Amino acid sequence: MKEFSILKFLDKFEGIFERFGIDYPIMRRILQVKLTLDGRRTPTAMINSSKKKKEEENSLFKSLWFYILLGIILIPLVIAGENYLFQMSLVFGIVMFMMTITLISDFSSVLLDLKDKDIILSKPIDGKTLSVAKTIHIMIYMFYITIAFTGPSLMAGLIRQGFLFFVIFFIEIFLMDLFIVVITALLYLLILKFFDGEKLKDIINYFQIALTIVITIGYQLVGRLFNINDLLNVEYILKFWHYIIPPIWFGGPFELILKGNQDFHVIIFSALSIIIPIISMVIYNKFTPTFEYNLQKLNDNSGSSKSKGNGFNRLLSKIVCSTKEEATFFKFARNMIKKERNFKLRVYPSLGFSLIFPFIILLTGLKELGLDRIIYSKAYFSIYFIGLIVPNIINTIGFSGNYKGAWVYKTAPLNGTKAIFKGTIKASFINLILPSYIFISIIYMIIFKGKIFIDLIILFLTLLLFVIICFNLATKRLPFSEPFAEANKGEGIIAIFFVLILGVLAGVHYIATTFKYGVLVYMIILIIFNIFAWKKGFNVNLEG
Amino acid sequence: MELCGRPIITIRNLEKNFGSKRVLKGIDLDIYPGQIIGYIGQNGAGKSTTVKIVLGLMGEYTGEIEIFGENISSGNVEYKRKIGYVPETAEVYDNLTGREYLTFIGELYGMEYDEADEKAKKLTELFGLKQVYDFRISSYSKGMRQKLLIISSLLNNPDILFFDEPLSGIDANSVMVFKEILAELKSQGKTIFYSSHIMEVVEKISSRIVLINEGRIVADGSFEELREKSMEGSLEGIFNELTGFKEHEKIAKEFVSIVQGVDYYEGV
Repeated sequence: MKEFSILKFLDKFEGIFERFGIDYPIMRRILQVKLTLDGRRTPTAMINSSKKKKEEENSLFKSLWFYILLGIILIPLVIAGENYLFQMSLVFGIVMFMMTITLISDFSSVLLDLKDKDIILSKPIDGKTLSVAKTIHIMIYMFYITIAFTGPSLMAGLIRQGFLFFVIFFIEIFLMDLFIVVITALLYLLILKFFDGEKLKDIINYFQIALTIVITIGYQLVGRLFNINDLLNVEYILKFWHYIIPPIWFGGPFELILKGNQDFHVIIFSALSIIIPIISMVIYNKFTPTFEYNLQKLNDNSGSSKSKGNGFNRLLSKIVCSTKEEATFFKFARNMIKKERNFKLRVYPSLGFSLIFPFIILLTGLKELGLDRIIYSKAYFSIYFIGLIVPNIINTIGFSGNYKGAWVYKTAPLNGTKAIFKGTIKASFINLILPSYIFISIIYMIIFKGKIFIDLIILFLTLLLFVIICFNLATKRLPFSEPFAEANKGEGIIAIFFVLILGVLAGVHYIATTFKYGVLVYMIILIIFNIFAWKKGFNVNLEG
Repeated sequence: MELCGRPIITIRNLEKNFGSKRVLKGIDLDIYPGQIIGYIGQNGAGKSTTVKIVLGLMGEYTGEIEIFGENISSGNVEYKRKIGYVPETAEVYDNLTGREYLTFIGELYGMEYDEADEKAKKLTELFGLKQVYDFRISSYSKGMRQKLLIISSLLNNPDILFFDEPLSGIDANSVMVFKEILAELKSQGKTIFYSSHIMEVVEKISSRIVLINEGRIVADGSFEELREKSMEGSLEGIFNELTGFKEHEKIAKEFVSIVQGVDYYEGV
């Protein structure tokens, strides 16, 4: 097994670990196994293939470049001036936010791993040693990522603000990482205490989705909202609630040490930034045995999920599907879409995005035209952005975390794949696209005072048609039949193509509005196209 | 039943709740060295729960458990050094090779790497895993994984063994080898806690059978003793009788009739 240099570095602190009652050699061995496993996280399909040697590289190190690039946005904040408390609070606010997201979405699985418990705790290993090994495992990665993310601003700080600044920054990053990891672990502990494991998985899932949306939209807005020079001229006014905002604590030591500002609140902030991470560590240390026991709950699926709406599912399948086979796959796909967390994680963020995007465009129009004039404008065409979700859904529907279950397609006596695809596509339309369509339509109907009713019907027909077009152009995979690791391979170009098609469809609609009765004629044409497409669009041949 | 010396495991009034559900309702058990205990019961009767509590994998129970004369709730994990465990749902680190996994486990038990490696190599060879010793476990068949787990549970030369359905997926030849190994271990004075649903095996290998039903021990004794008390000739029969299950024929007939699509069932 490979020897890791980070472990050699860790060896220097052996004495500290031993003092906390941790069996250091064992902890080191667990970490070595963990790090080896991380380097081998390859999709099962590729095991023992010739690619094996290359894959030993940990994929994390490639993504570090991405963080370094992102970290450049922090540079202006660091070098802008000497309003340390304010600047560095902002820096730490951004860094903490980014790192918490990374921790929750990428390392929750490490924290909540149950395998460790059965394999390792049945041996003469203290629960504390395992917990610390887990925490260190996460800390190692968090530290790499944080250093990458803050790297550019650390360097900039060293050059502009001096060595002492650099040292304070570096130490605080370490404390901050400690704080984040421990607080997250304690949060999970709290959730597990009151809810069962399924709930926690759901909560983590929705957390991931929410944060992905926040990042995507945040990056759209940050340029417009953020004016650094304006911010730096703001006089800092202490409010009592500042004492409970962690990023502000971390701004304290800069002000205290570099500027010698010995105001009461600066001293308190500085003290909090050191004491709280240490206290939380002590608390965590105390609770870790409970943590491992409560983790067991993740496995207890005692709460049987109520199969509500089953009758509705069947009724719906009878209404929208023409054959029995199709109805079967319709119901199957609906259940999968609703329950598969990985799938939700892939689709929901862009679903949220496509819901918000029309409004962002509309708001821009509103700013220019004002409410009175926008009603008579064609600004409602922004609603077409909702269609951006379609290619994503069509692409994702072929993947699943439980892709191995797809053998049932092969053993079941099915006549071709038409029913499979048709049922699945219908299900994804009804489950994902239709609710967004209805939601946006209602709001647009209110804004435009009901004048766009026929246009909304045209949009609906266009979406229906667009689904078939995307389906026919995309790589065809049986629904839920391939691992997510295989997704997103060189399909970016085709996605742009899809957007163009949607643009053309919107364009035709726009032209139709310029003629008398044009909209009605277009609607009838779309209906005919749809009937044809939904009849013929699923005759696909899958090789193999 | 011959009892020699002091019990190696003592369980007193063990109770465990999952939420509002009581899984164990007071288990009392004394286990002596050199016994193979067949620990049987229906799905969900509490077998695995007992084993997990004894191994310290599950907390928040009430009652007393002593192993080697020491209460396990003290937090001292040293007693595990002399315990081997094959869990029912076999979790392993799939992406390690056989060698990497076994040496890791050996080291967790406090062995030196070379010692663990040599022992593991010899044992895997005897189990016919020589060729795959340096392959990733993810490429193993179910039986190979099970053999690997059995080896990992024995590396540390334990005094007490917990086997939870250890034979699943293992071929007939290896099953014979394994049964011999059990008998040999027993004669060396090892204690084996064997839980399984395959009654024929349990009947043959166990020197003592403990039957648990709905969180309580309902029968405890050698197979002969159990047979004397019961009308049934086989352990399977005894098991069904004690768990109050008499309807297997009726259910089977109904099952097949449903498979065949017969709408009505007339009863036996």
